[in-house]
Amino acid sequence: MFEATERTLRDAQRERWVKAGLLVMTILLILPVAIILTVLVMRGAPMLSIEFLFEEPTNGMTAGGIFPALIGTIWLVIVALLASVPVGVAAAIYLSEYAPDNKLTRLINLAIINLAGVPSIVHALFGVGAFVIFAGFGTSILAASLTLAVMTLPVVIVSTRESLQAVPQAFRAACWNMGATRWQTIRRVVLPNAVSGILTGVILEVSRTAGETAPIMFTGAAFFLPFLPESVFDQTMALSLHLFVISTQVPNVPEGLPYGVALVLVGMVLTMNAISVALRTKLRGRRKW
Amino acid sequence: MTMKRSSHLFHLHLGLVFAILLGSGCARSDRDAGGKDGAAVASKSSRVVLQNKGSDTLVNVAQAWADAYRDVKPGVAVAVTGGGSGTGISALLNGTVDIANSSRAMKEREMEMARSKGIEPIEHVAGFDALAVYLHPGNPLAEMSIEQLKAIYGEGGSLERWSQLGVEVPGCSSDEIVRISRQNNSGTYAYFKKTVLGKQGEYKLGSRDMHGSKDVVELVAATPCAIGYSGLAYANDHIKMPCIKNGTEAACVAPSVETAIDRSYPIARPLFLYTSGQPTGALKEYLDWILSDVGQCLILKKGYAPVKPAADCA
Repeated sequence: MFEATERTLRDAQRERWVKAGLLVMTILLILPVAIILTVLVMRGAPMLSIEFLFEEPTNGMTAGGIFPALIGTIWLVIVALLASVPVGVAAAIYLSEYAPDNKLTRLINLAIINLAGVPSIVHALFGVGAFVIFAGFGTSILAASLTLAVMTLPVVIVSTRESLQAVPQAFRAACWNMGATRWQTIRRVVLPNAVSGILTGVILEVSRTAGETAPIMFTGAAFFLPFLPESVFDQTMALSLHLFVISTQVPNVPEGLPYGVALVLVGMVLTMNAISVALRTKLRGRRKW
Repeated sequence: MTMKRSSHLFHLHLGLVFAILLGSGCARSDRDAGGKDGAAVASKSSRVVLQNKGSDTLVNVAQAWADAYRDVKPGVAVAVTGGGSGTGISALLNGTVDIANSSRAMKEREMEMARSKGIEPIEHVAGFDALAVYLHPGNPLAEMSIEQLKAIYGEGGSLERWSQLGVEVPGCSSDEIVRISRQNNSGTYAYFKKTVLGKQGEYKLGSRDMHGSKDVVELVAATPCAIGYSGLAYANDHIKMPCIKNGTEAACVAPSVETAIDRSYPIARPLFLYTSGQPTGALKEYLDWILSDVGQCLILKKGYAPVKPAADCA
């Protein structure tokens, strides 16, 4: 018959304390997010309306809507994706499927990890030097998006490589034994099985791109533009920079306006993340292992 | 063998991506060559884009001009970016802007740099700005002298506590004068330094350096111990602006658009627009419009003083 000794009781007591402590830490973790969202919704929601989303700012950007900034953010994100996804996915395929485990590969991996750790303001200055001045793109959507693309490449590469490596090695071996080439194996077997992970990485990148301010500030985003961008060589307004300038530089901004802009930006990011989660769940259901 | 072929394919893809990027780069340079002096670049809809960058003091009036100019010349678009006077001037030296906004005159060193790059900067005065000294509304001080400001902000200055000025500031139990200043590429920073601290003057260490005029005003409004300086246009109801006298005998003048126009306010400064060479075409038209009654009324409306006594502004 089991009888609780003093020691067992003490251990059980300690267990409860540890569990409670960890729970408190977890709640502390959620708290800032919850507070941010609550404040944003409470103060920002009254600003939201169809006009707010689809009209131009007026009266020295203290009234009206945010349409040019919203459109600009969408431009920046799409062009950044077009640049970073092909390169990132290709690099990940090479690193995961072709690269031999040698010094060069390890060096490349190290470079990718370091690239991910470079602060965004450093990427911004790199973008000015490389894309705005050297490549001659000027301050434009192209320069800003390429800067964003460089910055988010590590995310795409790492998440793509991880999802490629999650595909069981046996799948590849089976395919090769049927006489398929590496590329045939990748295209017909590996990629279809890894697509959910790749998409997740891409969407995470989108959400990060949408919120960045520093990399676009010097490379393509403007304080104010009296027109909507028509090509990648135009400058643009962007939500993140718009939020920055109306909260720090424009006088007499109504109190709710920055909250409204922040809410739209956060809403965009959260929607993208939700799509990412839903997509992953759906595609994972189709997995064959 | 398969390995080799596949890696060729990979390189091909990579090459394609770069080719696309480079191709688009070429398209850009072609268009640049067509534009005048590489400055005002016409995009495919034959819209002329003027790049306007610089002073945070001027950025809001620049925005108002750009916004209003849409209706004047729909074919000309003015892109406005802030960042500080230094940012605008260095962009002018890089050849990436058409108009650099600056709340200080260009330094001789910058002029030399420009000439060495074959750029001849032309200065246009677009208006005047009274640089107001901001205090917390609870601060009882109503007038200050340039000498006092120098002793507060300048290196080696003796004023560290409000009690030395003979006032007790409610809510400021430490009695310390909290100095709020600007980042060092700001034209406001440079002008205040030159005018208040003197040619050889340096700022005392330990000030809070804010990144924008609005930040200064907001921090002062929230800090009973604080003193700050910024363009008059950033004034609001939550701060107090003492009148300023130059010398102990002089009259104390309150900052206002009027006292900036008649130059009786001691720390009023011209606001500059710099262009690379004499402006021509769309750029000239835009600058002429800024100096016209319409443009000058807009600068007045934003809290700055126009270049000439203004016509009737609605």
